[in-house]
Amino acid sequence: MTRVVVTGLGVVSPFGLGVKAYWEGVRSGTCAIRPVTLIETEGFRCRIAAEVPDPVPGSPRRSRADRLALAAAREAIDDAGLGVAERRRAALVVGAVGGGMLEAEGWYWPAKRGGAPLCPTPALRSILPYSHADVVGSRLGLGGPRETLVTACSSGAVSLAVAADLVADGVVRVAVAGGADALTRICFMGFNALRLLDPEPCRPFDRARRGMSIGEGAAFVVLEDAAHAHARGARAYAELAGSGMTTDAFHVTSPQPDGEGMARAMMAALARARVEPKAVGYVNAHGTATLQNDRIEARALRSVFGAGGVLVSSTKSMIGHTMAAAGSLEAVATILALVHETVPPTVNLTTADSEVAFDCVPSMAREAAVDCAISNSFGFGGQNVTLLFRRL
Amino acid sequence: MEPKEVLDDLRTIFVTRLRFEPHRVSDVTLDTPLPKGVDGSVGLDSLDFIELSLAIEDRFGLVMDDAQDLAPHFASFRTLCAFIAERATTA
Amino acid sequence: MTTGVAITGVGAVTARFTGGAATVSAFLAEPSPVHDAIADERLVALLGDGEARRLSRVCQLAVAAGRLALDDAELRAGDDVGLVLGTEFGDLRSTVEFADGYLAAGPPGLSALIFPNTVMNTMAAATTMAGELAIVRAAGAIASGRARAVLAGGVDQIDPFLGSMLADLGAGEERRGEGAVMLVLESASSARERGARILGEIMGTASGALAARPHGVGRSTQSSVVAEALAAASVELRHLGAVYDSTSGDRGRDHWEQRLLDTALGAGHERRSSLRRLIGAHAGAGALGVAAAAGAARRSGQVAVIVGP
Repeated sequence: MTRVVVTGLGVVSPFGLGVKAYWEGVRSGTCAIRPVTLIETEGFRCRIAAEVPDPVPGSPRRSRADRLALAAAREAIDDAGLGVAERRRAALVVGAVGGGMLEAEGWYWPAKRGGAPLCPTPALRSILPYSHADVVGSRLGLGGPRETLVTACSSGAVSLAVAADLVADGVVRVAVAGGADALTRICFMGFNALRLLDPEPCRPFDRARRGMSIGEGAAFVVLEDAAHAHARGARAYAELAGSGMTTDAFHVTSPQPDGEGMARAMMAALARARVEPKAVGYVNAHGTATLQNDRIEARALRSVFGAGGVLVSSTKSMIGHTMAAAGSLEAVATILALVHETVPPTVNLTTADSEVAFDCVPSMAREAAVDCAISNSFGFGGQNVTLLFRRL
Repeated sequence: MEPKEVLDDLRTIFVTRLRFEPHRVSDVTLDTPLPKGVDGSVGLDSLDFIELSLAIEDRFGLVMDDAQDLAPHFASFRTLCAFIAERATTA
Repeated sequence: MTTGVAITGVGAVTARFTGGAATVSAFLAEPSPVHDAIADERLVALLGDGEARRLSRVCQLAVAAGRLALDDAELRAGDDVGLVLGTEFGDLRSTVEFADGYLAAGPPGLSALIFPNTVMNTMAAATTMAGELAIVRAAGAIASGRARAVLAGGVDQIDPFLGSMLADLGAGEERRGEGAVMLVLESASSARERGARILGEIMGTASGALAARPHGVGRSTQSSVVAEALAAASVELRHLGAVYDSTSGDRGRDHWEQRLLDTALGAGHERRSSLRRLIGAHAGAGALGVAAAAGAARRSGQVAVIVGP
C-alpha cells in the first residue's frame, strides 16, 4: 500500500506571509481578529475579522484570493524542493469557495448603485472558484490532474483528502493541495444575516460563546508517495495516514444534532489509517464558536474518543474561520503540532462549556509528544471531513 | 397594531421572503402552526425562522433578542401576531 | 483500476426530455437540438412546491435529476452512497440576488435563506467540479474500494449575468444550455450481486491540465490523457469506437480541441461527436456524454471515450 507523506508546507495567514509567521502566531496564542478594513461594515452587528496584513504579494491585477493561493502554493512547492519534471506530472487539487468575489463585488456594487466601478471588468475573469487552480497551476507549471472542490467550509480539508487519494491510488506520485479564500462582502454579510457572528473575537468552546469570526488566508501542502519522497531525499513532516468524508444529509446550515455524521468521518479516518482512537493525542477541532457546532462537535468527539480522551483546540480562536482555507490552514497547524511536539491553544476561552468534556488547551500552547492527530472540518450541508496525520 | 393587520403583513412576508406560493399562504389561519413537524403546520425550519425574524425586524421595527427563547412566540400565526402587535413600533 | 465501475442509472432534466435511461436513449436515437430554458413551473412540479420552495433553481435541477437517477438504478440513497456534482458556473443567480437585496435596502435587505445558495455546493452537499471530472472522481472512489456507489453528474443553468460575464471574459460564441444529468456508478460486483441492470462500464479514466487562458485556447497540441485512459482500461486505440468531445460552437476552443484529438487519436478518426452542440454547453452535457458513450459501446461492442480540453 502506498503511504502518503507531507513534504512541503506553504501559508499566508492573518499573521502574515509564510509558515514561520503562522506557527509563531498560533503557538504563542495570538488573536489576529481585528476591525475590518477591506469592506464596508456599517450597520452590521459584527464588524471584525482576521484579515491578512499588507502587503499581500503578487500582481494587483490578480484577485486577492488568487494572490493568497499563489503565494502559499509557491512556498509549499519550494519547501518540498520539487523540480520542473516533478511539477509537470503533479496533481493540483484546490478547495475554494469565494473565488474572486471580493473584486467582482468591487465591480458590481458601484455599477448597481449607478456609479463608476471601483475596478475594471477584468475582475470578473477570476470570479469563479476554479480561478485559483488555473493561476496556481499555470504559474507553477503543474500539469497533472487539476480539480477544484467546493464543500463550503470543509473545502480546504477535502482538497487534501482527494489529493491524498490520487497519490494512494497511484494516479500521481506528487500532489499539491490546499485551500484559499479572501474576505468577501457576500460571506461577511451572509454570516451576519444568519446571526452566526460574534461582535467580539470568537470564543470557541466557551460557555459564553456567541458565534464565529471570519478570517482569510491560504495554505497548501505537497503530498507525496513516501517511496518517491525517500528516493529523492525529501524531508517529510508527517504522514497523512487517513481521511474520512461523510455527509449528514440533514440540513442546509445546521449540523445533525447527535453529531453522527461528524463521528462517522472521524471513524472512517481512523479505520483507513488503521489507528485506534487511543493512539490519537490531539484534535484540531472545527471549533467555530457557534452555539451549535461546538456542542455537537464535542458530542461527536466524546462518542469517538470518550470524555477527556484527547486534547482539543480551535485555531479559529486566533485566525477566525478562513472558509475554504480553514481546512488546509488547520491541517498545517496539526502537522506542525506533531513536528514541534506542541499543541496550539484555544484563546479567548475563559470558562469552558460544561457540555465540552475535553481539555481545550486554554490560552497557552502545551508541550505534548503526540503520535497521531486529527483535523476536523465541517461545512454547510453537513459536509464532514477528518484528516488524520501521523508523526514520523 | 391589530393582530389581524399583522397577519396580512406576515402573509406578504411569507410570499416575498419565504417564497411560499400565494395560494398556500391565503389558506393559513391564526391557528396554523409554524414549525416543521407539527401537524398541519406550514413547515418552517431553523433557517426559515432566521429569515422570518429578519423580515419581521425590518417590517415592524422591532429587535429580536437572540439570547431569549423565542420559540413559544413562533408556535403559530396567533402567537406570532400577538408578539409582534405588542412590540411593533412602525405601522 | 482494481474494481470494475458499472453505470446502473441515469437521470436527466432538460427542456426537452426528463427521465431515466430509457428517456435518454430515446432522445439520443433521434436527437434534436435543445437550447431552451426549462420552465420554472416544470421544476416545481417535479419536486412538489414544498421542497421546491427552499431550493434555488440550480439545486432544483440537481435534486430532481439525482432522484431520477437513483430511481432508474433502483437504488436507495443511504450512508454508503456518495455524491459528486460538477458545475461550470454554479449558482451565480443566487449570488446576484443576495447582493441585490443588500444594495437595495442595506443590511435589512439581506436574506438568510439565499446566502447558503451562494456557496456553489451547499444545497447538493457535494464536491463541485465539471461534469466529466465529477464522474472521474466518483469512478476513482469506487475503483479503489472507497465507495460502493456514487451519484455523480453535472448541472448548470442559463443565467442572464453569465452572458455578460462570458462576453467580458472574451470567451467565444459557445451556445450555453441548461439542465442536470446524473449517473449512478457502482462497483460492478455489488451491482451484479443486487441484480442491477448494467448500462455500461467505466474501464479507465485520466485527466490532466494544459496551460490556457480562462475560457480560452492553449498552445499545446499534445495531451497524454487519451493514451493514459486507454492504458488504464487496457484497450488499444484501434478498438476505439465513438468519441464524444466537448466542442460547443466556440470556434477557437473547438479548433484547439480538434487539434489535440487529431494528435491523440491519429487524424481521420471519424466518429467524433459532441452533445454540447446538441443540448448546449453545461456540466450536465458532460455527464450525458458518459451515458451516451456507454450506450454506444453497448450497441457496437466497442469502446467509447469522452474528451474535453
